[in-house]
Amino acid sequence: MQIAQILANGLVLGALYACLAVGFSLVWGVLNVINMLHGSFIILGGYLTFFAWRDFGIHPLVMLPPVALLTFAIGYAVQYGLVNKVVTAPVLTTLTLTFGLDMIIYNLMTVGFHATPVKVSLGLGSVSAFGVRMPVDRLMGMGLALLLTGALYYVMRASTIGRAIVAVRMDRAAAALMGIRVNHIYAVTFGIGALMAGLAGVIFAVIFPVTTNLSGMYLGKAFVVCVIGGLGSVPGALVGGLVLGVVESFAGHFFGPAHALTVGFLLMLALLVVKPTGLVGVKGYE
Amino acid sequence: MMSRLGLALFAGWVVILATTPLFAENYIVRTAIMIAMYSALALSWNIIGGFTGYPSFATVAFFGVGCYVGGIAQRAGVPMALAWAIATVAVGAMAAALGAIILRLKGHYFAIGSIAIVEVCRLVISSWRSVTGGGDGLNVPLLRWHPDAVAQFFLLVMIGIMLAAFVMNALVDRHRLGFGLKCIRQNEDAADMVGVDTTRYKIVGFTLSALLCGTVGAAYASWVGYIDPTDSFQILMTVKVPVMALMGGAGTVLGPALGAAAFVILEEIFWANFLEWNRAILGAIIVALIFFLPGGLLNISWRRAARRLRGRESAEAPA
Amino acid sequence: MPTFSIRRLAPAAAFLAALQVHAVSAEDVFKIGAPLALTGGLADEGLKQQRVYRMWAERVNAAGGVSVGDRMIPVEIVEYDYQSDGPRAGQLAERLITDDRVHVIMAPFGSGHTVITATVGERYRVPTIACVASSESVFANDNRYLFGTLSPNANMTDVMTAFLQENVPDLTRVAVLGRDDVFPKSMAEATVRAAEAAGLQVVYNALYPVGTMDHSAAVSAIGASNPDWIYITGYTQDLILARRQMDDLGVTAPVVTMVTGPAYQEYTDALGSLAEGVTSSSWWHHSTTYEGVGAWPTTVSFYEDFLAVSGGVDPDYVHGSCAGALVMLEDVLARAGSLDGEAIRDALAATDVMTFYGQISFGENGMNQARDLPIIQVQDREIKVLFPPSIASADLRIVAE
Repeated sequence: MQIAQILANGLVLGALYACLAVGFSLVWGVLNVINMLHGSFIILGGYLTFFAWRDFGIHPLVMLPPVALLTFAIGYAVQYGLVNKVVTAPVLTTLTLTFGLDMIIYNLMTVGFHATPVKVSLGLGSVSAFGVRMPVDRLMGMGLALLLTGALYYVMRASTIGRAIVAVRMDRAAAALMGIRVNHIYAVTFGIGALMAGLAGVIFAVIFPVTTNLSGMYLGKAFVVCVIGGLGSVPGALVGGLVLGVVESFAGHFFGPAHALTVGFLLMLALLVVKPTGLVGVKGYE
Repeated sequence: MMSRLGLALFAGWVVILATTPLFAENYIVRTAIMIAMYSALALSWNIIGGFTGYPSFATVAFFGVGCYVGGIAQRAGVPMALAWAIATVAVGAMAAALGAIILRLKGHYFAIGSIAIVEVCRLVISSWRSVTGGGDGLNVPLLRWHPDAVAQFFLLVMIGIMLAAFVMNALVDRHRLGFGLKCIRQNEDAADMVGVDTTRYKIVGFTLSALLCGTVGAAYASWVGYIDPTDSFQILMTVKVPVMALMGGAGTVLGPALGAAAFVILEEIFWANFLEWNRAILGAIIVALIFFLPGGLLNISWRRAARRLRGRESAEAPA
Repeated sequence: MPTFSIRRLAPAAAFLAALQVHAVSAEDVFKIGAPLALTGGLADEGLKQQRVYRMWAERVNAAGGVSVGDRMIPVEIVEYDYQSDGPRAGQLAERLITDDRVHVIMAPFGSGHTVITATVGERYRVPTIACVASSESVFANDNRYLFGTLSPNANMTDVMTAFLQENVPDLTRVAVLGRDDVFPKSMAEATVRAAEAAGLQVVYNALYPVGTMDHSAAVSAIGASNPDWIYITGYTQDLILARRQMDDLGVTAPVVTMVTGPAYQEYTDALGSLAEGVTSSSWWHHSTTYEGVGAWPTTVSFYEDFLAVSGGVDPDYVHGSCAGALVMLEDVLARAGSLDGEAIRDALAATDVMTFYGQISFGENGMNQARDLPIIQVQDREIKVLFPPSIASADLRIVAE
């Protein structure tokens, strides 16, 4: 039964990891940009949720649409106004640019919110089934995370904008010839990436403490998830997240918490070497 | 190729740095030490990141491992200079071994692989408590001289390492190796086809880019007298070093040294004057750098001057 | 001190112009250098130190300054942000000593950063006072110029173990989970030693690395080991998460201790009812009633001053210890009779003084000597002191059987 509990813990954590990473993966896969701002977008979503809850008693679920709108707008503007100008430059350039932007946002948030860890407490208790005990807020978070990831998958597969994003990703020049406004599509993609980060932040505010100090850690997780699962695809992020969650959970149990993170990173390094496209990645989208 | 003027300016700069103890206070001397230290790191990075065009973020892993190898050796009673040599060799060997693995990756994947190396090094050092002291950090035996003497000594040491890194860059630049690495940057497949042994070249380049980082790390550990995993493997430093090289002009011999000096001095000024906002200002500078100085400080003046002189444009960086 | 002055352009100015005239006069100001983590990972703690330093300087200067020998001179705190960055802390200490010519350095929050700062201080023979470093490893470097106002961790864990054994019948099984970082780690290790020495059985003992986002594996394992006493150390964000996950996974014990958890108001604020019953040790609590020297002779005087500035938020041990160190300095200066580094150091070493924060006298390694440290518990959303009896305001409540 303990194995079942460990597995359940890992799966819940994994779903959260997937949600945290999917936007990052999309931006990386489509734009070929490593978005160092991703962690800060998550924290921003978390803080907005916390302040709305503490100061106005707004339920975190209600915060999903406004946070989505705001982070999308910021993401769109950042890409359209800044990153688009250098989007074809080498990796180092775009990474350095988003790193610089992240320093600015980080500074704004520490001045505005301080670094004091805060948390939304809904006090929903926990449920048990088959000897596995699970907190309700985590279950909700997991459900929401999966739902959002699924929704993104649907958007990418079925909507016009989703198809346009996929087209641009496959062949930028050809897509432009077909009349797709590449810069607009890039900005939308970046916006969606930021939006997913913001929504992950809303979910995380209920589960984890919110503090600017955690933005680097979230970013690191997103890296690992993407490499394990494979870049630029929604299923890749989902598989990567779940695998990382389960691996960390089991490693934490069998080797002690001190080594859980190391095992995750070693898995990532091993995959990088053996199968750089990740577990479900498609070859050719470097 | 660097111009005589550039070389003369650099020589002048080294003299200014080396003589800071004569005219400035120890705080300034300390800043000079940091400049020399970062210059050495940025110049080292230049071999893999500039010449070869591989976006490596592993510099701080080499620096951190150098700190620890040097620190542990000194604690075991090894004389300081020998400890630095051991750290240099150990880091070089580590880079060669790791390079064989991650240099198979390209572009973003390589960048991520190099970041993963930093994280794994940090985690291994943190959890290997019996040797490294884990999160407690390590106290490294201090030089118990007069503070001025200590500062002067480490200034000269760091300048020495910086000059070694500079010479290494100049040699690589002229040598076949540099030519091969630049071919790889231009087009790796083509380089392979015309007979450049790309794998070997890349591994040699990666190892060279690590060697002196190990020395810098070990010397740093002896200087500050205390190291811990958080400070030795700082993610910020991972990004700072390439930014410095970019700022000066990556792939040139003088650029990284210029960038490191400019960055450290700017950082000092902003940090001293804008307490609350220094991070944002530094971020803004980085953003501005990307847009207004894409080729680095060195390339604007040089290229413009060249263009004016010759009356024509050249898109190639003066590598 | 966010003022823009030409002198602060020092690095550039000196390099370019190579001239920097410095007025080296024995100014009649007592200068304290304070490298503070105002941004970055330790920003919260840095801001706490800053608040107390400023309060003290204001209060002392309003009363005419500090007495050095037979003179009264004003005090000045020279503070800089070191951004929670080790190398910068060292650089700053150097700047404070050589450029700002401070007489004493107040060490920053992080234990590692304290070592770096104190190392620079030692080179220049300027005393460093650490008001928030409690790990003995910080003081293990034979640094004659480093003094700490917190007392050793081991002292805290021994007292706690003895207290719990006395008050909780059948206390036998202890589970310890610590953050792998200087202070939390040394507390966890000291607790394991104290528990074993007291004949308790340590059923779980692990460290988690900095950057852990999920404690379910550790918390589940703790639950499975069926402990009577759960002892977890970490920074506030870690402890909030761990406490939540204990609740989530239904893991509890008669005694749940988190260090320093409840000692910080942020912890109880963020956890609400979940903080209920959690015990902790602290070096100081504002219900203590010591009386002593300096600008704040009683806890009440400090507490009132503090509330006026903080807008009603209670001070914690960081505030208390740092304020205690400052009032102690007033006594030290009077005895030193000069602003010379060596004189101040000798006076510090000879310190044996009572302050509102408690007794301060330094041992061989420069740490404050052992004394009775408060054990606290969250009861009905308030912090109650359980020990020592002289200031106890409640009895221990058992969390769950």
